[in-house]
Amino acid sequence: MKNRLITGFYELKIKQVIDKRIWDIPVIEEKDDIENVLKIFGRRHHVWVLKSQKSKELVGVITEHDILSILVPKKFSAYGVGMPDIRSLQYETVTTAKDLMSTKMISCGPDDTIKNVLQKMARYQIRRLPVVDGKKLVGEITLHQMIQRYYEATQYYSLVENKKEG
Amino acid sequence: MIFTVTIVDIAFSLALALIIARVMGYFFDKLKQPTVIGEIIAGILLGGFGLGVLSGFTFSFFGLTISLPQLSYTSDEFRFFADLGILLLMFIIGLETSISKLKEVGKPTFFVAFGGVILPLILGSIAGTLFGFSWQESILIGLMLVATSIGVTVRTLADLHVLNTNVGITVLGAAVIDDVLGIIAFALILGIYNPLQIGITITIFFLIFLYLGLKIIDKVMNLGEKINLPKSLLSISLAIFLFYSFFADRCGITGITGAFVAGLLIGQTIQSKKISDDVKAIGYSFFVPLFFVGVGASVDLTAFLVIGVFSVVVIIVGIIGKIVGCGIGAKLAGMSLRHSLQVGVGMIPRMEVALIIVSIAISRGLITGDVAHQILATTIVTTIVTTLITPFLLKATFKYRF
Repeated sequence: MKNRLITGFYELKIKQVIDKRIWDIPVIEEKDDIENVLKIFGRRHHVWVLKSQKSKELVGVITEHDILSILVPKKFSAYGVGMPDIRSLQYETVTTAKDLMSTKMISCGPDDTIKNVLQKMARYQIRRLPVVDGKKLVGEITLHQMIQRYYEATQYYSLVENKKEG
Repeated sequence: MIFTVTIVDIAFSLALALIIARVMGYFFDKLKQPTVIGEIIAGILLGGFGLGVLSGFTFSFFGLTISLPQLSYTSDEFRFFADLGILLLMFIIGLETSISKLKEVGKPTFFVAFGGVILPLILGSIAGTLFGFSWQESILIGLMLVATSIGVTVRTLADLHVLNTNVGITVLGAAVIDDVLGIIAFALILGIYNPLQIGITITIFFLIFLYLGLKIIDKVMNLGEKINLPKSLLSISLAIFLFYSFFADRCGITGITGAFVAGLLIGQTIQSKKISDDVKAIGYSFFVPLFFVGVGASVDLTAFLVIGVFSVVVIIVGIIGKIVGCGIGAKLAGMSLRHSLQVGVGMIPRMEVALIIVSIAISRGLITGDVAHQILATTIVTTIVTTLITPFLLKATFKYRF
């Protein structure tokens, strides 16, 4: 019984489950000051970085781990080769959101299935994915949302199942 | 096939090397000096003139015969580990070099890098010739002075709180570029006997392995990801790295170029996030320290007695070459005299790439015998002196008004 539920859940499209309140997604422009970034982290655990609010083109993401890496007392690499990571609040080497964001992003599209997204989350050990249409940010999907969705589905599904049997 | 040497034969040497390297590295880190110097000194302590004299020593004690294990830091077996350390280090440099960031660096950075490559190369070669080295040996001395090791400069600039200034950004970018230029120059010079062939092979290598590689690396890594086994993507990445090292070597442009290019490619992919920490774990925990210990252990201490004046000249040439070469580059790009000087001084330290180039030259038989020992000893002295004096010089250029 449960198996059928989860396979149905897997096949759901992202656009069917994402939060419609797009204005509630944390976003910031890449040229925004690092202090504005920190401010957002007072309420959020991550922020999507856009080329501009107008274009909504997604260029990066900043997570709590990125903040940790610039907040912790800086220890420079022991070897003097390659490009050293000097980003640190201590040495004022990060000034804008662009300096801090990671650009290698895993994303999904509105037509991807939940199964697909869950696999990406597990493989890359991430808990949230941007939903992009082309390069434009159209929403986000979090593990938290998916868990809730699944839980609700279990409740709902069992009701439907009972009705059918009854 | 009968194996005459097994891993346990050198296990003792390896263990001792790792421990002493880490302990010495720790002391140097405490003294705010590069850990690499500690690792080289660990090698000297363990080498034929240090603990190495006790190697295989047998002594009797109340009828008990105790035989100390063989220490073999110059054996072929040990070299294997050290050589893999060189390749892994180059692979890691590649992984950490972002092509998009290199594209963003400004005009001053390129000017500084080129100035700092050309002048030390010329001055080093002239110094070698004047001291009676052959022209190949002299060019090698020049090449050894090309690549900057940015470690101590970063720390000093951080202490001075100027990492985020124009000077800081320029030095950091230029140091990455001159590493690459140094490696390419080394590859070119290796093939100097047969310029046509090396020209063709380099073209083939960069066209196929870099250009095509950039096109397909994403697909290859995505494919590699399909093999859903623990760390399989790391295995695929290491395989790509070894393939590239092999083919680059066969193209006559040395394995290090291949390792670097492989790192550069894989570093562009999304998956590099996942593998880069693992590669560093493999390299920095084991193979890379063994390379630096090997360098220290293979130097003939008596060579230090011979190189006196010559090494002083090389060090001076190395310092002047960077200050003037990079300084002129910075000035031409429109920086002030003071900032140009600061950039030049920041570029003085040499370390990893210099030691890699000389080690490869020795293992390929480009330099042999006493000359090899002298050049290696000179390189070690140069790397240590240039890294030790840079913090003082750099602080002085920021402190004094002139």
